[in-house]
Amino acid sequence: MITGNLAGDLLKELNCDTAFTIPVFGGIKVPESVVVTWIIMAVLLIVSFLLTRNLSVENPGRRQKMMEAAVSAGYGFFEDILGEEGKEYIPYLISVMLYIGVANLIGLVGLKPPTKDMGVTAGLAVMSIILIEMAGIRKKGTKGWLKSFAQPVWVIAPINILEVFIRPLSLCMRLFGNVLGAFVVMELIKLILPVLLPIPFSFYFDIFDGLIQAYVFVFLTSLFLKEALE
Amino acid sequence: MSTLLAIGAGVAVLTGIGAGVGIGIATSKAVDAIARQPEADGKISKTLILGCALAEATAIYGFVIALLIILLLR
Repeated sequence: MITGNLAGDLLKELNCDTAFTIPVFGGIKVPESVVVTWIIMAVLLIVSFLLTRNLSVENPGRRQKMMEAAVSAGYGFFEDILGEEGKEYIPYLISVMLYIGVANLIGLVGLKPPTKDMGVTAGLAVMSIILIEMAGIRKKGTKGWLKSFAQPVWVIAPINILEVFIRPLSLCMRLFGNVLGAFVVMELIKLILPVLLPIPFSFYFDIFDGLIQAYVFVFLTSLFLKEALE
Repeated sequence: MSTLLAIGAGVAVLTGIGAGVGIGIATSKAVDAIARQPEADGKISKTLILGCALAEATAIYGFVIALLIILLLR
């Protein structure tokens, strides 16, 4: 009886609701995750606009000093992995980390996390693999990139080609599965005892796990990126 | 039918064993390494998180498959 309800709830959560329909070309359906993504984009844009106003070289304020510390910490972290030549890809990685972090935490204010929609995580993973392969092509040239599939020996070329598809699949599934898994466990805990008990678990599953997954996603992307740049 | 589905989902979630053992081994080695070389702390924990994320993925795949079994075959 209870499990029947839960299965229904889960199915409802797995399905991505359509928020509204754009009435052109016979109606373009806009899913809820896209709307929440727009909200996150707006929030991040406004926050970054407010934080980067009135920057000065001579007398930096407290806000600017904190920002500079945070940005240089991010750059330092990624530069350790990517090295000097991968520096131009760092802004993308930091933006993706900010987006996934905010997206995983947005459940706390009552919105549906967009990362619970497999379309969003798949899109992020496809963007990552395109970035990785394009970085490889830019670094080595098309010929060198094609040749790099046959390294270190030509026998493993099929495995290397397979890896191009496995990597985004595993990035996508890891993020999606973690967010959904945390959600399911939280629902089960709320089913057992909705008072007080979920609080400590919520700290782990909603906050810690979401931030760790944002970190892991960009960390793995930057590792693959470094491999492509070698 | 639903009993069989439940058994199938349970078998799929057994992947958690592998992830648990793997992360346990990785963490024990990391604790060992930090005890021996406390100054390499940062590097070790970075590698540990990466290893844990990769090992954990297998458990996540099992979980996703179990969900698919329950929700799609119902």
